[in-house]
Amino acid sequence: MLGYLAQRIAQAVVVIFAMSIIVFVGVFAIGNPIDVMIDPAATEQMRDELIRRYGLDLPLWQQYFLFLQNVARGDLGTSMIYNVPVVGLIFSRLPATLDLVLVSVSIAGLIGIPAGIWAGYKPDSKSAKIIMALSVLGFSVPTFWIGMLLIMAFAVHLGWLPSGGRGEVGTILGIPTSLATLNGWSHVILPALNLSLFKMGLMIRLARAGMVEAMRTDYVKFARAQGLPDRQIVTSHVMRNIMIPIVTVFGLELGSTLAFAVVTESVFNWPGVGKLIIDSILQLDRPVMVAYLVMVVTLFVLINLVVDLIYARLDPRVRLKGGA
Amino acid sequence: MATAMETASPSRGQKLREFWQDYRRSPVAVISLAVILLLLALSFGAPLVTPQDPYDMAALDWMDAFLRPGTEGSGGYAHVLGTDNAGRDMLSAILYGLRTSFVIGVSAGALALMAGICVGLVAAYSGGRIEALLMRIVDLQLSMPAILLALVLVAMLGQGVPQIILALVVAQYAYFARTTHGAATVERGKDYIEAARSTPLPTRRILFRHLLPNVLPPLIVVATVQVASAIALEATLSFLGVGLPLTEPSLGSLISNGFKYIHTDRYWLSIFPGVALMITVVAINLVGDQVRTVLDPRNRR
Amino acid sequence: MNVRALKSAVAALALLVAAPAAFAQDLTIGVRAGPDSIDPHWSTLGSQAETLRHIFDTLVDVDEKLQLKPGLATSWTPIDDTTWEFKIREGVKFHDGSPLTAKDVKFSIERIPVVTGPMPMTLYTKYVETAEVVDDYTLRIKTKGVAPSLPNDFTRLFVVSANTGMEARNEQFNSGEKAIGTGPYKFVSWQPKGDLVLVRNDDYWGGAPHWKNVVRKEIADDAARVAALRSGQVDLINYVPASDYVGFKNDKALDTFISDSVYILNVQPTVKDVLPQKVKIDGKETDVNPFKDLRVRQALDYAINRDVLVNVVLEGLGTPANQLMPEGFFGYSTELPKREYDLAKAKELLAEAGYPKGFEFDFTCTNNRVPGDAVVCEALAQMWSRAGLKVNAQALNGTVYFPAAAREEFSVAMSAWGTLTGEAAYTYGALVHTRDKDKGFGNFNRTGYSNPEFDAVFAKGAATLNNDERRKLYEQGSFIAMEDRALIPTVILQTVWAAKAGELKFTPRVDQETRAYAIQPAK
Repeated sequence: MLGYLAQRIAQAVVVIFAMSIIVFVGVFAIGNPIDVMIDPAATEQMRDELIRRYGLDLPLWQQYFLFLQNVARGDLGTSMIYNVPVVGLIFSRLPATLDLVLVSVSIAGLIGIPAGIWAGYKPDSKSAKIIMALSVLGFSVPTFWIGMLLIMAFAVHLGWLPSGGRGEVGTILGIPTSLATLNGWSHVILPALNLSLFKMGLMIRLARAGMVEAMRTDYVKFARAQGLPDRQIVTSHVMRNIMIPIVTVFGLELGSTLAFAVVTESVFNWPGVGKLIIDSILQLDRPVMVAYLVMVVTLFVLINLVVDLIYARLDPRVRLKGGA
Repeated sequence: MATAMETASPSRGQKLREFWQDYRRSPVAVISLAVILLLLALSFGAPLVTPQDPYDMAALDWMDAFLRPGTEGSGGYAHVLGTDNAGRDMLSAILYGLRTSFVIGVSAGALALMAGICVGLVAAYSGGRIEALLMRIVDLQLSMPAILLALVLVAMLGQGVPQIILALVVAQYAYFARTTHGAATVERGKDYIEAARSTPLPTRRILFRHLLPNVLPPLIVVATVQVASAIALEATLSFLGVGLPLTEPSLGSLISNGFKYIHTDRYWLSIFPGVALMITVVAINLVGDQVRTVLDPRNRR
Repeated sequence: MNVRALKSAVAALALLVAAPAAFAQDLTIGVRAGPDSIDPHWSTLGSQAETLRHIFDTLVDVDEKLQLKPGLATSWTPIDDTTWEFKIREGVKFHDGSPLTAKDVKFSIERIPVVTGPMPMTLYTKYVETAEVVDDYTLRIKTKGVAPSLPNDFTRLFVVSANTGMEARNEQFNSGEKAIGTGPYKFVSWQPKGDLVLVRNDDYWGGAPHWKNVVRKEIADDAARVAALRSGQVDLINYVPASDYVGFKNDKALDTFISDSVYILNVQPTVKDVLPQKVKIDGKETDVNPFKDLRVRQALDYAINRDVLVNVVLEGLGTPANQLMPEGFFGYSTELPKREYDLAKAKELLAEAGYPKGFEFDFTCTNNRVPGDAVVCEALAQMWSRAGLKVNAQALNGTVYFPAAAREEFSVAMSAWGTLTGEAAYTYGALVHTRDKDKGFGNFNRTGYSNPEFDAVFAKGAATLNNDERRKLYEQGSFIAMEDRALIPTVILQTVWAAKAGELKFTPRVDQETRAYAIQPAK
């Protein structure tokens, strides 16, 4: 087990390096960041000077090497747009996104999985059909569209909830969060719901597919024939069987929401990291891009590690072999 | 259960007929199939059925902009679904756009599915270094935002459908790879795979004839969802300003264009493309559901 | 049942958190863009200057039409060809109570090159050789050569206290520690991309503003900003999108304010010997550059129906343009005729130039820089296709467009240009003058345009301190460049603000700034 973990961590380091190289090459392919940022009235001399100052005149490998040197000294860089250290910049906006992710993933899981299981347990019932029909809506319409419809309904017409922003922020365990105040909750509900719809649709479908599958297996038929109550069959046998794909997708969605909730964040004007990273990409703010994507990839490696560990818990037949 | 797929080997025609008989048990699925076929025919035959070529700049007239549904424009025909801000007939634009979106959604979905299955299966089956390498590449790509990929591709190759497809494939195949890998990791520990390994069967056969069918159910679910989300993601890229050119509308770019009018009374600009997308996606999913049920070996009587 | 439970829960929640009625002294503004930093010397970004004006004052101010008016300097006069003297306002105090003197201004000028970022503020101090403190309220600037536009440049010169210290870091500004200016508002809090909270400076030298508490919320997405206004979360928004303008005008619950902007969408035909994207005649690529021929450029111009652009494409939010600056700006030529739409003439000119059957070319624009750039792009392609040209229009994201434009990869491009200083040297010097690295001219001239006649007139103007003479020379220069179709201006964009009906009044500004202290309650 320890050897396994050590291997995974070593792999993570390689992946992180690969990511930083990809970002450098990617930005290089798009163009010179100074040309995106510079004031149009600036003279050629100012431009040349800026390019020199930010080291953008050096060959790419040298730029990358300088970056590595700074990282070795614990400096991930300073944003070219905001002129503040990137780590602080990212962490100042991370709590807002965490709120959103936490609530939306909870909504998706807590509603989606039971609904899917029910739909798979009674596939021919009317309620199952309604659940399935609704689940399609979750991913058939673009997020920004649904988000705006939610705003129009609940904020503009009914006036029940605010149209955007984060609201009052309190602290829980020292972390600033909107979930500490009622006002904060009123702000978080709509964007979280918006963000959860796609996930919920996916959860419902996966849970249902797994459930239908499991109900047909011999051991369930056998257990039923034995007179075991369905509730017990579902919780003790079926759940374990259908959880693997759900856990996988859950992990993927957790990561991607944390990283790229950008659309919801811009429609609801939520001050999270998603908006920051998109703006940084659009302005080619390379230090922010590198630092952020490196953090995201670390996160994904971690989440997937946890997911792989959960596989092993869920199903003893899964062996944690070197590498996986 | 893995063998159920290969026991009887009736002729292909007979298989198809059987398939159809099973399929048509669900009237909803039959209607959905009809809807898809109709949409396919209309969108790929768009140049023949639409009153206007929305890609032809010379055919558009700005004086026809924002006509309400049913109004007659300068072309002398009624714009059933109205016109957009460039005087484009919405019905024509939706059908042409649907064609682009079909191509994008299906090819991105299919390519991503194939790539994902291969990577996931090979990784799970091989284990060791290969598994580690493949799955970490997947991790890497999961963390790469589609918008960044799209920007790089647009910068290097210009705007266009292939660039969008490529960006979507790279963004999505990782999902399939993880899902396949997850399911296959469970399967590889089961006895039948262990048994197959000890026979002289070629690896490819074990992978695709034995392992694959058993990891398919969750994959089909993810796949039908991903085709839809590819189309929606393309809309999102347009929303973020890196989608397809305006002059060649896709359903996604029509939706994101219509989004600008969501607060106005020009409802037709945002509602109709959205409804078209919804119908398409719902139909694809219903068909997908039924195909999965029919193909499921345990479902046979 | 689930749904009903959810509904009542939401309703209960809504009752509990219903926002208290805003006090009459509070103003919340939804802005499209905010600052990147609270350090006023970091960036030339328009939204940065607009925001920081609340906290810091500039040496020279501008009115709604961009004409100069006193700011922290009460007057400015040229003493000789290379010296300007500024009189500093007496009795002005920084937010920490310390008095403003000429030393602070000198410090600010010298601080800029040390701290400025990728949008360099050195743009506004490039003519400064030295700054010399004569006494507490007199400052002399020695300039590099003759610098008639120095007072215009100083409309963006924000003054910080000399106590700030050269070593002050950006974080100290963002936290408020160093955000100490002389402006009408004091800094309370801000985070990148988040809300800026301000409180009234009761001792402001220009008289305390009306609103006690001001919050500027950065809401970049157009639809979200509109929703924030409609749901009552903000009192005022800027940059109302053209798509919503018509609806707003007819909405009794909302007031709209409209103004010309400084931004004009210009078509930039490359006139170099070889085009970066070759044109096609009868489907075959050719090495000839048709745009070198004035008749072809005129044909492009005649084929543009500016009335349709304004009334249909931009839904009324624009004005036809016949030169690179709006009327009334320093150097605007009144001699230039209104641009006519004449399709027959366009075809005739094309035939005369040797392209009776037209040709095919690539046309590239930005799609997110200013409101309307993408739709105007599409419309132009359509209009030119009427003249028999085949146009491959592409509207690109700025992130892709600007680096490629800097590499001069486009044959015909369109982007917006704003004459932010209100005078011609800024615009014509950068866009039309022959590229000249040493003199710092033509830095945004990507078309390869070079006209010795224009250059001579312009150079003479740039070296003339007398306002009237300089104005005449610039007018002459504008005339030459526009008649030669160096660039083809299309429309002046207009901008719209919207507020809850009957609550606010203010005069919209041509530089599109939303200044909280210039806004009054309607009653």
